[in-house]
Amino acid sequence: MSDLRLNATQLDRYSRHVIMDEIGPDGQQRLLESAVLVVGAGGLGSPAIQYLAAAGVGQLGIVDDDVVERSNLQRQIVHGDADVGRPKVESAADYVAALNPDLDVDTHDTRVTADTVADLVAGYDIVLDASDNFATRYLLNDHCVLTETPLFHGAIYRFEGQLTSFTNERGGDEPRPCYRCVFPEAPEPGTVPDCATTGVLGVLPGTVGCIQATEAVKYLLGKGDLLEGRLLMYDAMDMSFEEVPIRPNPSCPVCGDDPEIESVGDVAYEGTCGISAD
Amino acid sequence: MPTEWKLFADLAERAGDKHVTVDAAAGDTVGDALEALLEATPELEDRVLEDGELRSQINVLRNGTNVLVEEEGMETVLDADDELALFPPVSGG
Repeated sequence: MSDLRLNATQLDRYSRHVIMDEIGPDGQQRLLESAVLVVGAGGLGSPAIQYLAAAGVGQLGIVDDDVVERSNLQRQIVHGDADVGRPKVESAADYVAALNPDLDVDTHDTRVTADTVADLVAGYDIVLDASDNFATRYLLNDHCVLTETPLFHGAIYRFEGQLTSFTNERGGDEPRPCYRCVFPEAPEPGTVPDCATTGVLGVLPGTVGCIQATEAVKYLLGKGDLLEGRLLMYDAMDMSFEEVPIRPNPSCPVCGDDPEIESVGDVAYEGTCGISAD
Repeated sequence: MPTEWKLFADLAERAGDKHVTVDAAAGDTVGDALEALLEATPELEDRVLEDGELRSQINVLRNGTNVLVEEEGMETVLDADDELALFPPVSGG
């Protein structure tokens, strides 16, 4: 049993959690003592940050190096019209402060790189990948595999989303795949158009980011079945969810039997995220 | 019996449809069906193949199972009414 330190305001604020056997005061206390890093305060990060903050995740780190643009507002609902031109991390932090003053928010107005990833992730229990590019996604995967940090993946394209969860707990009986087990290298840059080029349904990242937040909360509570070993593919147009089993790949370059990647410094993330030539 | 491919994300966008039916039947291989797909939708070829081999980030499913990991890859033999799918990673956020 944790020591129960929920005060009267917290008991009221989180009463719909506290009343449930699956969460209760202990589970809520656990959320309040958790630290989550959300990488990206855009389409996926917006709903994830909102729900993690509302749920009372006690320490929220937000990483993004962009400023809010008017064209973001169709889907990035943590930002408002008056935030155009402001750093996304500041806008998101203001939203969280207004929603739930119970939390500590750390803002990192920077891009995650191979040089900074260790410092950025250190101190957080888990990472949500709400980024918008392959370089960041492969970097987070590799760092989280190498440091056994849980990573909650979500990504979108026009009307479709992909989701999975990686606890990165290795050495046990359960198979624990990573992102590179499914997608060993990224497509050549320029091969897959981005949201600015191809468009994106505004509500799509809402659904996907909410599922990422759901997975994160379940993990922190130690409850339920995670999307581990399963890739969930959501099609908003068909309103369908398909689940594909994913397995550890013995030839995976980062978590396989003889991994080539022993450090994020080994990888050229600006290209196909393959091993560096030099 | 025709076999249906389901395409995801930018593959469907390139092909112009999420579903492409090809002339491949029980006894043919996944590789035969892929060849037929690329004949029907040549705009996919560069995105799916590199030097004649499947690009590493393109996954091939047969009835929801990854043929590259759990079956015989391109040599996997089709059964009647198999559903094939191709999915790439997406990165938007």
